[in-house]
Amino acid sequence: MGFETVRSVLDPTIPIDIGVLSQRQRIIDAMIDSCAEKTYAATTIADIVSRASISRTTFYKRFADKRECFDAALDYCVRELQSAAGNAHSDSDSPPAAVRKAAAAILATLASRPALAQLVMCEAVAVDSAVVDRYRRILAPALEGLWSPGDAKPELHADPRLAFGRAQVLIFNQIAAERTMHLAELLPQIVYLALLPFAGHDEAVRQARLAERSPASDGAVRPGDG
Amino acid sequence: MLSEAPLPTVRSDPVTDSPKDLRRWRLPRGRHGLPRELVARSQRERLLAAVVRVSAEKGYEATSVADILDEAGVGRESFYELFEDKQDCMLAAHAILVDDLEATVMVAYEEPGLPWVDRVRNAVEAMLDWFAGDPAAAKVTVVELAAIGAVSRVRFQEDFRRFTKLMDGGLDNSEPAPDLPQATSLAIGAALARVYEEVVRGRTTELPRLLPELTYELLVPFLGEAVAREEEQRAAKIVASR
Repeated sequence: MGFETVRSVLDPTIPIDIGVLSQRQRIIDAMIDSCAEKTYAATTIADIVSRASISRTTFYKRFADKRECFDAALDYCVRELQSAAGNAHSDSDSPPAAVRKAAAAILATLASRPALAQLVMCEAVAVDSAVVDRYRRILAPALEGLWSPGDAKPELHADPRLAFGRAQVLIFNQIAAERTMHLAELLPQIVYLALLPFAGHDEAVRQARLAERSPASDGAVRPGDG
Repeated sequence: MLSEAPLPTVRSDPVTDSPKDLRRWRLPRGRHGLPRELVARSQRERLLAAVVRVSAEKGYEATSVADILDEAGVGRESFYELFEDKQDCMLAAHAILVDDLEATVMVAYEEPGLPWVDRVRNAVEAMLDWFAGDPAAAKVTVVELAAIGAVSRVRFQEDFRRFTKLMDGGLDNSEPAPDLPQATSLAIGAALARVYEEVVRGRTTELPRLLPELTYELLVPFLGEAVAREEEQRAAKIVASR
């Protein structure tokens, strides 16, 4: 208030924030990779510091401890998945088509980034079982929003809050079987789980079968189809 | 010393060669003149019971071998004669518990002469009772296993496959084919996710109340909503009459 910001020639041309940000990201990437290689429990600050090529002092400037760093890494991973899902569908998609596309994009992201997949689906649950709740708070409203953009609550066929936990178990199982690269195999099941609460069993089955054939089609019944 | 967990109501068999409740296997203190093999075996059982109890109470990661020895009343040397390390002990205990759960569910599910939907409901009931009857075992089998690290994933996947195989094996030819080819894995996943959540929330002993909901959720992918709703209502009556 009342202060004028005076630009001086001494101001760096690249805002300091960018350097800070990339350093922070390097630390986060190091945490993700180290967790994938040796689990969170076995990861030490020394591992992260050496992977990120930073000093211990720098680490502690950014994060209070290992757990805070892990939480930041988890946040980053969840945002990556959210944006993959968000970019995969558009407003013109019908809700079932949007769910199919978003689910396919999430599975594709997980399959192409195994370390990220492991952190979100395995490590996070081992570190803090409360994360399932956290994921659910992100996912349930997102799914609900697809069906009822307004305030109207859709009629439910199953509890949508359960969808995430179930999907997580199936994905975890697939990763445990070392089939992370083939996570797309789960698409029909994930589509079914995400659609069952809102669209009911019959429609969820129909969409799951569609997803099995081609994840990208919009699945709308067109005149002359049947 | 940790407080005693409530004794299970389900698995109250007397001590046998393969004790179902590990906690019941205790030797008298002092000189007992029992053969060496039996002593070692009893020590093993006590250590297995101890790792379950301590891990359930304070978390697997925070549990030390010293804690386990303390709880079991067994010496360090004996521990390392029987187990390589803490993880080895935990995995051995986990295997015994999951075997017991599988056997319990199988007996309920494979009861001859009953329609498939009834066998599914009985299996779900047996599973919920098993977990509710021993909260420490529930915590260790579904929550603490993940803390072991990469090995736990292999174990999880093996267990998951055991239960999908069990369910598939009991599928009845008289029922229509499931609407979805992946119905079994959806059903096992649903049951597991639900039990996990309730255990994490500390509501393990209330699990049997979920019988109607879980019956519905397991049957939907196979039979659709209408049949699953009817079965949910039947299960609700059974719970109410208990």
